[in-house]
Amino acid sequence: MTTVGQLVFSGILIGSIYALMSVGLTLVFGVLRVVNFAHGEFLMLAMYGAWAITRFLGLNPYIAIVAVVPAMFLFGMLVHRLMISPALDKPHLVVVFATMGLSILMQNVALMLMSADLFDVPPLLGGRSWTFGPLYAKPELVIGFLVAVACTVALQWMIKSTYLGKAIRATVQDGEAAQLMGIPVPRIFLITFAGGSALVGLAACIMTPLFSVFPTVGLNFVLIAFVVVVLGGMGSIEGALLGGICIGVVQSLSSYYIAPAYGQMFFFILFLLVMIFRPTGLLGQKGTANIGIND
Amino acid sequence: MSTHAMSPLRRIGGLPLMPERGTASVFELALLLICAALVVVRLPQNIQDVIILTYLWAGLALAWNIAGGYAGLISFGHAAFFGIGAYTSTILGVKAEITPWIGIWLGGLLSAACGTLLALICARLRGPFFILSTLAAAEVVRIGALNWAALTGGPEGLAILPVPSVGNMVFASKHAYAVLMLGYLVVVYVAAKFIEGSRYGYRLFAVRDDEDAASAAGINPLLMRASAMGISAFITGIGGSLFAQYFLYLDPTHVISPELSFQFALLPALGGLGSAIGPVLGSFAITPLSELLRSYLGHAAHGLHLAIYGGVVIVVMLYFPGGIAGVLERFNRVQRKDRR
Amino acid sequence: MTALLELRKLSRAFGPLWAVRDVSFAVQPGELLGLIGPNGAGKSTLYNVIAGVLPPTAGEAVFEGRTISRWRPYHVARAGIARTFQIPKPYRHLTVIENVALSAMLHDQSVAAARKTAEAVLGDVGLADYAGAQVSILTAGLLKRLEVARALALKPRLVLFDEIMAGLTPAEVKVMTDMVAGLPARGITVIWVEHVLYAIMKTAKRILVLHRGELIADGAPEKIAKDPAVIKAYLGEEMSLA
Repeated sequence: MTTVGQLVFSGILIGSIYALMSVGLTLVFGVLRVVNFAHGEFLMLAMYGAWAITRFLGLNPYIAIVAVVPAMFLFGMLVHRLMISPALDKPHLVVVFATMGLSILMQNVALMLMSADLFDVPPLLGGRSWTFGPLYAKPELVIGFLVAVACTVALQWMIKSTYLGKAIRATVQDGEAAQLMGIPVPRIFLITFAGGSALVGLAACIMTPLFSVFPTVGLNFVLIAFVVVVLGGMGSIEGALLGGICIGVVQSLSSYYIAPAYGQMFFFILFLLVMIFRPTGLLGQKGTANIGIND
Repeated sequence: MSTHAMSPLRRIGGLPLMPERGTASVFELALLLICAALVVVRLPQNIQDVIILTYLWAGLALAWNIAGGYAGLISFGHAAFFGIGAYTSTILGVKAEITPWIGIWLGGLLSAACGTLLALICARLRGPFFILSTLAAAEVVRIGALNWAALTGGPEGLAILPVPSVGNMVFASKHAYAVLMLGYLVVVYVAAKFIEGSRYGYRLFAVRDDEDAASAAGINPLLMRASAMGISAFITGIGGSLFAQYFLYLDPTHVISPELSFQFALLPALGGLGSAIGPVLGSFAITPLSELLRSYLGHAAHGLHLAIYGGVVIVVMLYFPGGIAGVLERFNRVQRKDRR
Repeated sequence: MTALLELRKLSRAFGPLWAVRDVSFAVQPGELLGLIGPNGAGKSTLYNVIAGVLPPTAGEAVFEGRTISRWRPYHVARAGIARTFQIPKPYRHLTVIENVALSAMLHDQSVAAARKTAEAVLGDVGLADYAGAQVSILTAGLLKRLEVARALALKPRLVLFDEIMAGLTPAEVKVMTDMVAGLPARGITVIWVEHVLYAIMKTAKRILVLHRGELIADGAPEKIAKDPAVIKAYLGEEMSLA
């Protein structure tokens, strides 16, 4: 019984980190209605950044947040200006293929500059785990969980209570009407995309002590991110947290009870089941899956 | 592209100069002649390898395009069909001693069934939801193949005995493979042209462009989507089998990979979706280029050729969304006299 | 004479809101029926239910003796009911004639035959000059005519027009009105939702008025124009047959 408890506990912790990594993706979809296929590479870029700051400046990755998050925000702005914005009024496959091209470009530039080697950040606190009664967890996981939950709460507050949040909600519901009401929709798009990128930067700093970074690390995580977002419901922040936690728990349990090799397969099957029976996800807007993207 | 009357200046011997829906063109015939010539002429082995792959990839790009370009079903999971076809014919050949000449058709049929099933499962999904589902489905197939070692040989993969034998579809000379791949390409091309000029093809375009309007015109969207996916998967599966017979080795990581799936989608996107010549042009432009870049730059800087590839994709998608065929079409339209 | 289309207490609710409620009427073959009502009256919802886009919450629709209430849109179209969309939905990557030919392909066995039918229909709606054009160059008014052409190319027995006059010049309105008026003689029964009231009041012999989802009047145009319930529904606006 304790094993199950431990597995579920670890699953919740890692799942919340998956959620943090995915919430940018869900926001971008909810507002801009585009899927950024280079999302994993944004994470990879930020992870290299966090690693580099840790390695060369001797700071720990959590302090690196101060530099990585703004840098990723700027990077997101750049990508949005150059690629996303021009593609918005074209058929949606332009964005799909363009972000895929970006993904390939970024992976291979990383390969050229950093080589295929795995880079790690040494664990904090000398590798000991914290204990919570009968359960234990790595401190990096617990910190990650706390940051993820705090971030979700902050985002929710921002969406519900600030002007920016209201503007975002208006844009999600009806971009044209929002524009007529004086909301600068193109700027909302820019802020949302750049913000999503910044959130990925935050996730990367949390994840660098837990995972190695290498050029194709994005590929593993982007698939997880897609599943989290779809499960939780595209555009829903709480949905991302819920979805992330579900995925974390499923992965944790299935890796232990069924072969670890099949672990990944399970959440793809979960994904497909969600797509078949409840494509809007647990907390998403009804009908978005049937509309897909506005063409 | 409209098949409306063209200025007499642009027709030679009754055929239009540039590719059009529903009819052959001088351009296409000339290209065919060049392709045939390249098969017959004696060339260095490594160039023959490039030609073989270019023709095969062109056929696979055409196959993807039937679902993606004609029916609007953008799939990032076609490597699954490729793999199913390849593994089916190889397993039947290696374990049941069934000749690949029969095995490839069985592989194709199994792929077709899977493709149709996928389309039915994803019947209500549109846009990125559909794309992601195809990705997930392909990953399920890949991981399944990786772990079902008894059937597929697992990560070690399967090998075909490199003993030349026509009965086993293993050839000593590259010429023979080039003929095989060109034959595949030509048959698939003719099929694609036939589809795009037929009522069925038009119905696919209608479902792609506006599903509600198509429904209101009496077209059954689910039937169109499922059949397009089935046909596309069938052709892709056969291509996979042909690849297995050429490469003589299969393993899930390389044959059912997301990278390969992207390749199947990118070649038509770069060449031009929605027409038969597009995917062919895409493959003819990109495959030799990437092989060339890989051999010259691959050693100098790991990944440079792919980085360039990625950059090219971005530029083409943003500035030339019609791909190479789109550029040709614009050039063609400017030349036409009776523009309506 | 058996009715071509009969609606029996047809209703459609969205949650607690009844967009269409207990609508019952019969349409005989050869009729030209106008359907009017203020914005939000439920006209588009009614069309969507008849055409199979939405299932009814209650009641049924019977076409030529068959209950079509839960049929899919393509099934309804094949049975002989064509409809236009209020916001035109052309096939963007096809030319004008190809758009129409696609509808014709329902009955025509070859692409060539379908193009011939399409040419004739384009002539009927005055779009013959635009046959080879891409739909992206068409103005809103021309797109509306394309909608009509696509519906007619289906060779339907019943056609549901949804505000086909919006955005047309008075001259264009005259051309289209004459064309629509001639449809019953060609064996096509017409139900016509329209806001351009003078066109519909002059052409239709029978008008139905929908208000807040319910049928509040059904009769000749002159009678409708004086009906107090109708006038109230339009907020006191008096209609005259000019």
